Amino acid sequence: MSARKKTLLKVIVLGDLGVGKTSLMQQFVNKKFSHQYKATIGADFLTKDLTIDNKTVSLQIWDTAGQERFQSLGVAFYRGADCCVLCYDVTNEKSLNNLSSWKDEFLVQSNVSNPQDFPFIIIGNKIDVDESKKIPSLQKKLLNITNNQLGGLNYPLFETSAKDSINVETAFENVARMALQQEELNGASRNDMNDDYHDAINIHLENDNSGCAC
Amino acid sequence: MQQDTKLKLLQVPAHQRTESDASHSYSVLDYYDSETILISEVGSDENLEPFVNLQPKSGEMFVPLLGTQNTSRVTNMDMRDSNESQMDTSMITNVSLGDASTITRNSRRSLPSLNSLIDPNIPPCIQPLTELRLKQNLDDKFDIYGFKKDSSLFTSTVESHNEWFSEYIPHLLTQKKKWLVLMKAHGLASRSDAPLPLRYPPKSEKVKKLVRRGIPPEWRGNAWFFYAGGYEKLNKNIGVYEKIVADTAGMQNKDTEVIERDLHRTFPDNKYFKPELVEGVAADSNKEAPMISALRRVLTAFAQFKPQIGYCQSLNFLVGLLLLFMSEERAFWMLVIITERIIPQVHSANLEGVHTDQGVLMICIHEYIPKLWSIIGKSFDGTVLKDDKILTRPPPLTLVTSAWFMSMFVGILPIESVLRIWDIIFYEGSKALFRLSLTICRLCMDHPNFAGSTRDSRNMEEQETDRIEIFQFIQNFPKSITDPSLLINLCFKKIGGYGFGFLSQDEINRCREFVAQQRSRLRTKKGSIAGQLSDSERASLQGSAKMDDEIHDVYGFQRSIMSGVAWNMHISSVMKKKLGKRPE
Repeated sequence: MSARKKTLLKVIVLGDLGVGKTSLMQQFVNKKFSHQYKATIGADFLTKDLTIDNKTVSLQIWDTAGQERFQSLGVAFYRGADCCVLCYDVTNEKSLNNLSSWKDEFLVQSNVSNPQDFPFIIIGNKIDVDESKKIPSLQKKLLNITNNQLGGLNYPLFETSAKDSINVETAFENVARMALQQEELNGASRNDMNDDYHDAINIHLENDNSGCAC
Repeated sequence: MQQDTKLKLLQVPAHQRTESDASHSYSVLDYYDSETILISEVGSDENLEPFVNLQPKSGEMFVPLLGTQNTSRVTNMDMRDSNESQMDTSMITNVSLGDASTITRNSRRSLPSLNSLIDPNIPPCIQPLTELRLKQNLDDKFDIYGFKKDSSLFTSTVESHNEWFSEYIPHLLTQKKKWLVLMKAHGLASRSDAPLPLRYPPKSEKVKKLVRRGIPPEWRGNAWFFYAGGYEKLNKNIGVYEKIVADTAGMQNKDTEVIERDLHRTFPDNKYFKPELVEGVAADSNKEAPMISALRRVLTAFAQFKPQIGYCQSLNFLVGLLLLFMSEERAFWMLVIITERIIPQVHSANLEGVHTDQGVLMICIHEYIPKLWSIIGKSFDGTVLKDDKILTRPPPLTLVTSAWFMSMFVGILPIESVLRIWDIIFYEGSKALFRLSLTICRLCMDHPNFAGSTRDSRNMEEQETDRIEIFQFIQNFPKSITDPSLLINLCFKKIGGYGFGFLSQDEINRCREFVAQQRSRLRTKKGSIAGQLSDSERASLQGSAKMDDEIHDVYGFQRSIMSGVAWNMHISSVMKKKLGKRPE
């Protein structure tokens, strides 16, 4: 550990409750799926090392609680994020419609310097379910959401199954790649300071006002 | 508990309580012993005989329910434990009579239709545990509460569970014997094969010790209900639960949507919540497990009954566990008691109670485990949190500890540890949550794998790694605490333990009040918190000017933050006595 030169990348996973955030993270990090996951309360994270373009990175993935009121517990750990994963459930239209709120919430709380081109990706989970249970005309709705609206969510999209381990790996490799880019961008913008360790886990709980504005 | 129960009132005047003076400082909930207690028993309407297995001590008075039933609006008790203790019994007794009988009769009349909504036929999950049954359980895939023994969450296997459980069986049997002796001494239950007792001995040092060593599993539901003040609550709200269930049947709204998502992931590893876990039981998508239906009804009814809370994730764990030990109506009222008295506002829409309790917990860590505070009192990037910022910039650890409070350790600790802690909480009050949380924190810190304790951090990056590891360690470590006795002994033993028993409910209450006050001040003034004391604060300052200086001296809090609040005078004196010097 002493010569830790690998880059730490911080990723935040957001989305409505029950879309499978914990399962996605568990499948990616621990290669397992369990029906036993309980609702996430507060926040939790797992780390996983992987190699991206010959560079070893350590992905710190933050799993969050999906119920709205848990936002008040402090979302300060959003700060310093290098990538944000927005999740929905392909069987739950509401979770799809809420994606843009999650994005806005993240941008407000994380206070990122480049909200216009901050890396988000979208994951639609639970594609293993029966076709009949999926959101009707999902593709059309997706197109609406990603392209048409003002401030649309024109981000890379992956459809996954955490249960059957479909596409999860691919999705998170992309997450890592995008996060790495963002991290390098951040690093370049403060070239005078040799503190590349700084942002990945900056958890300033500085938002006194917002923190209490419950 | 059957719905057509016979209800009787047992009134024990406060002055006839038998517990020692000492128990007062330990147990705020003692108070409930002095209040009207309602005993339920199967019987006919006309049968108003005193409760049969009660041997009243001289002077105790039995009053039939329908004559003196209290129906005053004392129901909305949004107050903390301390307020409870100040509540005058006259509030309870000095009320107009008459309503109760109407309510009771009405509720009985409407029972037939309601019975179709509430499922009274859920068999009791926990069988009386004879030695034979306990030993037979070693051959079972499920523990005595119906949870799968092998669990990925708690990294336990059938073998590891059995290894622990076979050592635990003698403890369970000894406890049962001791409880039987105690019950007999109070004329409550004399034989091991007697029906489950509904009433338990009044609070005393002796009972408290026995509770800390564990209530017999099959008695838990009744004992929790009894000691937490369940009868008193039920008594004031006869028929209310059934009515809410009737009103909310089939209801669909924002809360029920979330409830539906949580029902099946509450205890997916418990055979009562997921019958198809049992071999040979086919999953039937058309037929829902009765426990799931009961869970839905209780959570939906609660969301309706407490709109300021609605449904909050983690309530499902509380209700789920309660349902394994009691009827759904009782589980409902226990949830009301938990959210009103034990952890008030913790589940409210803004989770204000979480902020309050985490503030209190962090202050306690700061005071009582200063070494740990020096490690965790930093943000992940290493910024040291100044003492006066404890409440406004809670350290990242609170993301972990919040869940301890919200779910009262369900899913955090292995089930037996949770149940043993619940025994203590329902008997002693919310201070037990703080005491046990401190014990777990301390246990983490003393663990050889605890990053911060073994290494002198060499550079910034390693320090940062340490901080992340510490977060994860404290997140995961509790899952490995399979031996509840170890945890509880560490908590209370002064020698060979951490002795957190000195942390009184009174102190917790004052600290909660302090934190809540500061937070509301911060909210309203957004930073400009200096100066401006309220009248009561000024008065209390004048009354304790000397002490006030001392507090600031000892803790170095900003004067403006600490102004006029002397909640921790006790901490101060305790710490001085304990350490013989000022804590750093």
